[in-house]
Amino acid sequence: MSVFVFFLQGTVVLLLAPLATGCVRWCKARFQGRHGASPFLPYVRFLTLLRKEMVIAETASWIFHAAPFVVLCTAVFVAFSLPLLTSAPPPGGLDNFILFAAILALGSVFLVLGGLDPGTAFGGMGASREMTLASLVEPAMITALAAFAVVSDNSAISGMLAAGGASLLQHPALVLSLVALGLVALAENARYPVDNPATHLELTMVHEAMILEYSGAYLAIIELASSIRLTVFALLLANLLVPFPLLATAISFSGALATIGATVAKLVIAMFLLALWESSIPKMRFYRMQEYLSGAFFIALAGLAFSLLSLP
Amino acid sequence: MTLHTSIASGIFVCLLGTLLSSLVGACGRSAGAHRISQILLALSNAIGALAALAFFFADTPVLPLIHLSLLFPTTLGLDHLSALFFLIVTGMSSVTALFAIHYVESERDTYNVRSLDCIAALFVLGMQMVPLTPSVAGFMLFWEVMSIASFFLVMADRKDASIKAAFLYLTMTQLGASALLAGFFLLGDGTIFPDFAALAQHARTASDDTILFAFALLFFGFGSKAGLVPFHLWLPEAHPRAPSHISALMSGVMLKIALYGFLRTVLFLLPPLPVIAGMAVLALGLLSGLLGVLHAVVDRDIKRTLAFSSIENLGLIFTMVGLSMIARANGLSVLAELALAAALFHAVNHAIFKTGLFLCAGAIVQGTHAHSLEAMGGLAKTMPRFTVAFCSLALAASALPPFGAFFGEWMFLEGIVGTLKEGGMMLQGLLLVALAAVVLISGLAIFAMVKLFAIACLGAPRSPGAAHAKEPAALLTAPLFALAILALGMGLLSPAVLSFLSPAHVGIVASRLPTVAVATGRLSPLTAFLALAAILLVCIMLVRMAWSGRRRLSHVWDCGQEVNAGMEYTATAFSAPIRFFFRFLLHHKTVVATPVVPTNPWIVRQSMTVHADTSIRFATIYGYVARILLWLSAQAKRLQNGIVQFYLLLMFLALVLSLIIAV
Repeated sequence: MSVFVFFLQGTVVLLLAPLATGCVRWCKARFQGRHGASPFLPYVRFLTLLRKEMVIAETASWIFHAAPFVVLCTAVFVAFSLPLLTSAPPPGGLDNFILFAAILALGSVFLVLGGLDPGTAFGGMGASREMTLASLVEPAMITALAAFAVVSDNSAISGMLAAGGASLLQHPALVLSLVALGLVALAENARYPVDNPATHLELTMVHEAMILEYSGAYLAIIELASSIRLTVFALLLANLLVPFPLLATAISFSGALATIGATVAKLVIAMFLLALWESSIPKMRFYRMQEYLSGAFFIALAGLAFSLLSLP
Repeated sequence: MTLHTSIASGIFVCLLGTLLSSLVGACGRSAGAHRISQILLALSNAIGALAALAFFFADTPVLPLIHLSLLFPTTLGLDHLSALFFLIVTGMSSVTALFAIHYVESERDTYNVRSLDCIAALFVLGMQMVPLTPSVAGFMLFWEVMSIASFFLVMADRKDASIKAAFLYLTMTQLGASALLAGFFLLGDGTIFPDFAALAQHARTASDDTILFAFALLFFGFGSKAGLVPFHLWLPEAHPRAPSHISALMSGVMLKIALYGFLRTVLFLLPPLPVIAGMAVLALGLLSGLLGVLHAVVDRDIKRTLAFSSIENLGLIFTMVGLSMIARANGLSVLAELALAAALFHAVNHAIFKTGLFLCAGAIVQGTHAHSLEAMGGLAKTMPRFTVAFCSLALAASALPPFGAFFGEWMFLEGIVGTLKEGGMMLQGLLLVALAAVVLISGLAIFAMVKLFAIACLGAPRSPGAAHAKEPAALLTAPLFALAILALGMGLLSPAVLSFLSPAHVGIVASRLPTVAVATGRLSPLTAFLALAAILLVCIMLVRMAWSGRRRLSHVWDCGQEVNAGMEYTATAFSAPIRFFFRFLLHHKTVVATPVVPTNPWIVRQSMTVHADTSIRFATIYGYVARILLWLSAQAKRLQNGIVQFYLLLMFLALVLSLIIAV
């Protein structure tokens, strides 16, 4: 029965994921004074793409076909294993923070391989940039989560929630780690100021350039995977700030309903804030990204160092 | 008792078989002799590997094999540490010998097959004997067999560049060996060629300064063999020059023998060292890791990239060892154990994936006739089966789950995070630096390996050689798959393997602390793998069911203009962001402007060279040393003036001087 709660969580996250993308697009459109498409459009788009014809490049090899599935697999894995709706530790310690970072890196690696496979300059450019971001973001993420691990004495993310919420007041240095984690989340999900998710202009593209050759069902899978990643990061940050209401292993119907409601609320608020953030800052030049990434890394390191100092 | 005798006889069979393989290789003239020699090498080493593996299940700390009374009286024997390294040597030699059957045959025109087979087997024999010999004389003898055999193997293709690289290698390895000899003499306190037990006795009574000086000498000796920065100059020159199956052995195995020597010295011969020694190891380890990985990211040659990645991995291993030494000196036994177990585990993993990757590089170079990544591309299309193995090995090398290397690094980081609260400010600072540097290195390692695989295998072929490449023979691909499966197995079975490698089990600490088991209990690799595999299968099934569209093959989106391979991203382009971000370390391009018309300095033709090689900077330092040496020898030449009386005077003076010193 204890595994059931993770299936519930995974299903809810998977179902909510397209809503997150739709929500942030709708909010952004409103901020920009446009009417905006319905937040539920991504669901329709997903189903449409599944039915469309796929155009596969002649130069593509088996990697091109394998990549979307691996990318989706890593996204679904984190959706099932992290404490998003439940605070219970999953079996086998699957929510270990280093494993989390490595699984995300695995997804990025396959996305990069898929982008390079057709052999276009666009794909290569996006792949090179994405790989740079992924390999330099990983240190910041591990360092930021290490601060939570040290404070909560637990290397599983479900245990780290104990250091979040109200106990952030006792360990104010963790706020720095949280900020670093936010910067990491923006970079991992190809959002402002790292990447512009709404453009097809080669100077600014990272993520979109990589998946340019994908169409039909493969594109649907990759878009779903990015939505899941966005949802996971949003809920993870939300849960580190507000670690309730979360399900325990034993669940009641009303408890589940309350948690799902709260999760939707958290997600919508997070997406609203993301849209606000994206509407109020410009995108950074890619070749200034080392400032952003080293900034995130050193903020995370400072968070870890200061929280060590604050511990008895 | 029967288990012990069968282990001992297995090891004897292995040693004899290796020797015999060398003889057969040297004497046989036909292609058949080459095959027999390699099969013999593969089989005997497989038996040796099984024997070493069986030793881990035999409940004995030391297994004496044979007592030698010739030259240096000692008893050859196995303990857990030497069994582990013997296992690495024999296992990897067995796989590379299988690969060499076909590989060397196809390269018959480049290499002299007879001498190559003979010396390769001697090289393996030297590496097998080093961990078995617990005495200074024997250790140094077999160390030299290994070094000199590999010196000849580096210049096996008899090209000028190879000969130059081989002599650079010879110089460095002999410098290292003389430092080792000096260190051992210093520890032995005058006894010539003691065995290790006597050496440890002497070391216990030596003064602190002597110990530290001897440690510095030994660390230089082993560190230069392991390719630690700043003694690494020879490694990216020599390793890529050898035939690929030898490069695999040099990178995958010989560097581990250097690690074995270092661990043997630090853990068994020297008394507990002060913190400063551990800090030196940690510092050089981190420096090697960082510079190694940065060069692996920006290099364009397939084998040089792998050589730099070896520097990085050895740097990581020495970081783990250094941190373990620091933790031991500070009384943090938990971290000391975890870091050491992680180092041993990473050593095994590195042996597996680096051997595999060098063999992959050999197959690719043979298929495409190119060493440069820029002239490859499209191999995933022309040799799909082979690229599956290559891809898995590259993922293993980037320390991603579910492969073994990930769990080694995971345990190390977990150990650091777990002990961050304990210890004083200085130790916490050190741990923080180590944590930050190791995660940065492992992040960049992913970049390097993705570049290696993707630029070589994906996209459209960028040279006629790459376009006409064929799927390698099954005999070449089979060893690669074996290694890929081994790398995966190391990941899935990592808790069991790690508990075998825990220092308590390896015989370094007396008490059997269950630290490693506790740490590995926190994350189950098997569950993670099964969950990933199950999700992947379900995803594929669901998408297949839901997807109702058709598929069409077409050329890539080309914006109305034909796309060709010249527009693809190359290795140089792919690594451009990293080269730019780290331009303070990799000084990165020079622009040469030549005037089109000599009289007009304003209109110039600019040519740009991208070079990202700090070894130039190190080479200038080495250059100064070389110039001083040359000057000194020029001065010494004046003694050679051809007057007999002067020579007699010199001999007399030397005699008087030595008498004064002796008395």
